[in-house]
Amino acid sequence: MTRRAVATDTPAGRAPIAPFVGLSTLWVQITGTWCNLECRHCINASGPKSPWLKPLDAATIARAIRDAEAAGVKEIYFTGGEPFLHGEILPLLELALGAAPTTVLTNGTLIGPEVADALAALAARVPYSLELRVSLDDTDEEKNDRIRGAGAWAKAVEAVRLLRERGLLPIVTATEITRDEHPPGSGMYERFRDFLHAQGVARPRVKIMPVFGLGRQPAGAAEPLTEKDLEGFDRSVLQCADARVVAAGGVYACPILAGLEGARLSTGSLAESFRPAPLYHPACVTCRQTGMTCRNS
Amino acid sequence: MSPDRDDVSEQLGEYRRIAVFGGVYNNALALEALLADARTRDVEAVFCLGDMGGFGPHPDRVFPLLREHGVLAIQGNYDESLASGRSDCGCGYTDPRDNHYAAISYRYTFEHTSTENKTWLGALPRHRRLKLGPHRVLMCHGSPRVVNEFLWESATPNGLLRHLMRRAEADVMLCTHTGMKWHRALPDARHAVNVGVIGRPENDGRTGVWYTVVTAAPDLQVEFVPLAYDHETLAREMDREGLPPEFAETIRTGWWTTCLENLPARERARGKY
Repeated sequence: MTRRAVATDTPAGRAPIAPFVGLSTLWVQITGTWCNLECRHCINASGPKSPWLKPLDAATIARAIRDAEAAGVKEIYFTGGEPFLHGEILPLLELALGAAPTTVLTNGTLIGPEVADALAALAARVPYSLELRVSLDDTDEEKNDRIRGAGAWAKAVEAVRLLRERGLLPIVTATEITRDEHPPGSGMYERFRDFLHAQGVARPRVKIMPVFGLGRQPAGAAEPLTEKDLEGFDRSVLQCADARVVAAGGVYACPILAGLEGARLSTGSLAESFRPAPLYHPACVTCRQTGMTCRNS
Repeated sequence: MSPDRDDVSEQLGEYRRIAVFGGVYNNALALEALLADARTRDVEAVFCLGDMGGFGPHPDRVFPLLREHGVLAIQGNYDESLASGRSDCGCGYTDPRDNHYAAISYRYTFEHTSTENKTWLGALPRHRRLKLGPHRVLMCHGSPRVVNEFLWESATPNGLLRHLMRRAEADVMLCTHTGMKWHRALPDARHAVNVGVIGRPENDGRTGVWYTVVTAAPDLQVEFVPLAYDHETLAREMDREGLPPEFAETIRTGWWTTCLENLPARERARGKY
């Protein structure tokens, strides 16, 4: 299914702000919005054709990692698009893992035996944990592939198997997009956990994310946050208070809004983005309400 | 972090050799064993980095031991929650299964901790600073910046440690909270030490627990001390108190059964579940 890639944005000028308390998490939108899948709910409308946000070159990524390390970053995430489409993913991942624990958010479809071998070898020789987050939106193949495209389920499940066999413990990451298709009261977390156990995964790891109304997912009726919505709320717990995203065009406030003009905090260095971020987008409402984080935990 | 309102305001203590532990988790039997063991090791003082409650049975048995033996403690997230009457432990878990077990544990501990002991917990400082020989030591629970920040060995980069310790004006940082010990000497001669916990084993299939002896010789020496205690009696008490069988299983086997989701891949891979 092809849907129009839309980068909706609204003015950020009068929005409430989140403080910047220090860089804890660096996100690298390594492939921009270039992806081999075209999921119906993709937050940044990634896809195979003409990505609206271009991939990053290796020099930009290396500079961001170096600057983040100097700023005391705690963890690094590679996302996109599909990170394994980037021709230099493995050396860049090694560079990142020399600086901090690093996670790759992947759809798993490009992780065959050779890539899995390379990842296992990498994980064994770097000082910090390599984490792999494999996206799967439903344990049921038909429900999953309706969202993520034909064949996506089988390839992701195979990636989990290949990684498990090599001692890597991927985190299966699901959005709540098909939650209403299951009987009320059936726990989504338990369903994924049971599924992974049945796949032979002795140490199942599951992360569940809310659905955001942006990218290819229709925006809800949510209005942007106001100062009144934030009364008595500790804004320093929002991820834009301690995360930054390096993507084409500059440095942005959070991974959900990477590439959007209103969320851009620097067109140059990482350090220039170390300032308060405007909570201007309706997606900020979801973070405020759910307390969600894009981090692993 | 410069010294702030969260720091203990006592005069900076000066020591040569100290014992440090974290995470009692209601395990008075392990605490008794530790206090006996530490007496044989020529330490000048014993420090606890917080989280007296949670997980185990009979919370109030821990406090007389801490007080009678002059243990110098700081406040962990559990202690802060109990003292302020919060509805959850503030452990920092993010997935529903971990939060389910954390809620059982917290409710039990809250209901079985006396008002007097909650008040005592509320009076503990958040950090302690001392001199160990020439070394400026900062003690914290999770990290110098956040009480419930997890500093796992495989997920705590040197750049972060340098950043935290520079801000804290410390040469040595001692923390706990994760339940797994580690020590890293940084290239600039600073040291970061997670002293481990005595409340439950560290997911290694062994029933013993660990505490830490730190010595200024004058170079810093860090020794992790294994500690055996009557774990079967503890497990039986947990069963009698109606605590989840998964908790007692951890005490009997040394494998974590809950609160696993935020372990990094490397630490998780070492465990059974």
